Amino acid sequence: MDTAELEAKVIEFIASKVENIDTSTITTASKFEELGLDSMDTVQLLFDAEDAFGVTFDGDEVKNLRTVGDIITYISEHPPEGKG
Amino acid sequence: MRIVVTGMGIVSPIGTSIDQFWKNAVAGTNGIVSIQSFDAAKQRSRIAGEVQGFDPATFLSTKQIEQTDRFTQLALHAAQQALEDAGGLEGYEPRRLAVSLGSGMGGFSTFESSAARRFQNKSVPPFTVPRIMANSAAAWIATKYGLKGINLTTSTACSSGANAIGMALDLLRNGKADAVVTGGAEACVLPLTMFGFEALFALSTGFNNDPAHASRPFAKGRDGFVMGEGAGILVLEREDAALKRGAKIYAQLAGYGCACDATHIVAPDIDGQVAAMQAALDDAGVTSGQVDYINAHATSTPIGDVVETKAIKQMFGERALEIPISATKSMIGHSIGASAAIGSIAAIMTLQTGTIHPTINLIEADLECDLNYTPNTAAQKKVQTALCNAFGFGGNNVSIVFTTL
Repeated sequence: MDTAELEAKVIEFIASKVENIDTSTITTASKFEELGLDSMDTVQLLFDAEDAFGVTFDGDEVKNLRTVGDIITYISEHPPEGKG
Repeated sequence: MRIVVTGMGIVSPIGTSIDQFWKNAVAGTNGIVSIQSFDAAKQRSRIAGEVQGFDPATFLSTKQIEQTDRFTQLALHAAQQALEDAGGLEGYEPRRLAVSLGSGMGGFSTFESSAARRFQNKSVPPFTVPRIMANSAAAWIATKYGLKGINLTTSTACSSGANAIGMALDLLRNGKADAVVTGGAEACVLPLTMFGFEALFALSTGFNNDPAHASRPFAKGRDGFVMGEGAGILVLEREDAALKRGAKIYAQLAGYGCACDATHIVAPDIDGQVAAMQAALDDAGVTSGQVDYINAHATSTPIGDVVETKAIKQMFGERALEIPISATKSMIGHSIGASAAIGSIAAIMTLQTGTIHPTINLIEADLECDLNYTPNTAAQKKVQTALCNAFGFGGNNVSIVFTTL
């Protein structure tokens, strides 16, 4: 999956998880709080993203994930097992 | 000061509204089926009283569903019904609105699914703990409806719902609240939980191919209880305040009694059961001669039904033969912490309608179970004082008394 494809998939995924959000407002620069997510919403989103993209976010690194782009970068740098 | 019931809600295998539940209960409708919610092939007991077709999306948002265990969802549905039924609680100060809820296992559905993920080396959902905690349902009811007073959860196994209702009575009598949303909720038709009860030989295992006849309190051939699930919620208030706001009143919650066997962690005990019934009658200020209906605990275990029968005989003497008894669990199985709340609703509907729902599957009674259990067909009788029994692991015995006004 190339970066553009991954970016589209992650944005589509976030749109499906965040209630009442206009997909066009989600960019790689969007911070989670700008999408209306509080800290618990964010950990829930990251948890759901693990299942959706076959990755496991490292407990310490999770704290550094603040934007949509951070998720995309993390997934591209940590390809699912057996696919990398 | 009299405490009255002004709202009721229920989620059960035979109905997700009071009207539907009661209609089916009076008709003696079986709610026990082969387990649909998970692959039960490895269980020794493969049947349950499941609430089927329950869709939380009809009344909860995606986010609320994500953050709640099934037992909380069942509780929220029943609470919504009860609060709509009661109406008008917004007239009370929010800090005077309490919740007192019972659950034996709490969010065990989440416990089992999160544990399974962990054993597969997957991450654990972030809402694992707030979904599992036993007070989750009570907290969600408070949050959804702005009930900002005392918020309690009691976990006394199969008597949890009865203790919760009794504690609600105490809160109102002691002036700690003006209205209480109370009852019980349980959702443990689950593989690990059922393996645990199977290991104790507590569940029915001989009727996997004939689920409709598995839950058979007091009957010959009964071989254990059938796991159930559901929720029952009552709204309680002081009578004077309820009358003042023009609420409809179903019944008086007149008394509550408890006693611990302090003998064995799971075995029932006659003396403890009698003590609880006596304490409830004393608390209600009624005599044993006034009790004219008993909603029995009656789980369909070989020992339990005999012990309760003996306890009722010891409590009521010769009158024991005259008092109509019925076992709601014959139709819906044993919903653990919800069961006494559902039994209470059945008792209240009996006071309201003069109809006693039957104990189904009672074609031939156990020789040691020789009371009037209202076998198979509903009976008509004007009832003024109803006793509801709930006995739980831990030697916990609870009885509650409802009366007409």
